[in-house]
Amino acid sequence: MARTADGTGEQARQDGGATGGPPAPVRRGPGPVALAVSLFGELLITAGVLLGLFVVYSLWWTNVVADREAGRQADKVREQWNHDGTAGPGALDTKGGIGFLHVPALGNGEVLVEKGTSTSVLDNGVAGYYTDPAKAVLPTSGKKGNFTLAAHRDGHGAKFHNIDKLRKGDPVVFETRDDWYVYKVYAILPETSKFNVNVLSQIPRESGRTRAGHYITLTTCTPVYTSRYRYVVWGELDRVQKVDARRTPPKELR
Amino acid sequence: MYGWIWRHLPGNAWVRALISLVLVVAVVYALFQYVFPWAEPLLPFNDVTVDNQ
Repeated sequence: MARTADGTGEQARQDGGATGGPPAPVRRGPGPVALAVSLFGELLITAGVLLGLFVVYSLWWTNVVADREAGRQADKVREQWNHDGTAGPGALDTKGGIGFLHVPALGNGEVLVEKGTSTSVLDNGVAGYYTDPAKAVLPTSGKKGNFTLAAHRDGHGAKFHNIDKLRKGDPVVFETRDDWYVYKVYAILPETSKFNVNVLSQIPRESGRTRAGHYITLTTCTPVYTSRYRYVVWGELDRVQKVDARRTPPKELR
Repeated sequence: MYGWIWRHLPGNAWVRALISLVLVVAVVYALFQYVFPWAEPLLPFNDVTVDNQ
């Protein structure tokens, strides 16, 4: 960076020396105009490099950091599950993460699900369930309601990057310590306002449903690389499958 | 600007090049570690939730 910019500065100075003023017998510094132009050019180059670095940071580095952190937290959750294995179904531990989301269409394996949708949670490369403005109803509670989730489209793990690859009928599987909750996608809203909190309703009417049921809602931003709108995918619980001793995944994931 | 820095670095061309490289790495580190994480939430690229705000 420094060398390229230096070369440019050198050239500007020579140009300035060649064209500006009467010929001088001795070597002299560049004129004030040439200096200003060269400084301006260097600032432009610097700004360009800065923006380029920011793109690298946003689309690559945040993924590296987030995936590392998500992996660490996921390991912790799995380890905890193994340790509690003998205790039988116990109280739900929402601190480190409540389970894993498996969506074959997203093509990124498992996504840890944690509480909350603040940036401090989502930036760790996980999906978060909503606590605000509408509280998500966790599938583990057994109650009817909407299990609402959000994750990043780009950067910070980009866990929902391929959300546009999801089609109606695709499975969305949520894995907890004791159960596999198999959802099927039934409605997609490719673009909506970020103020449209109705998509998080316990009965998401916009998806066409009018009765209470076990729903799942995935939200992220769209179009890619921006967050002008929100992309919403709704699924409905198809069945619940007990986790067996070898943790055999349901047939949708095989 | 960069020419000025280059002229004020000590040593011959190789030493200067090495110091320049170290400076560049330091700047990039500072950007990735402190400046970009600070700037990112201020830019409208990564809001993924629906909310009332």
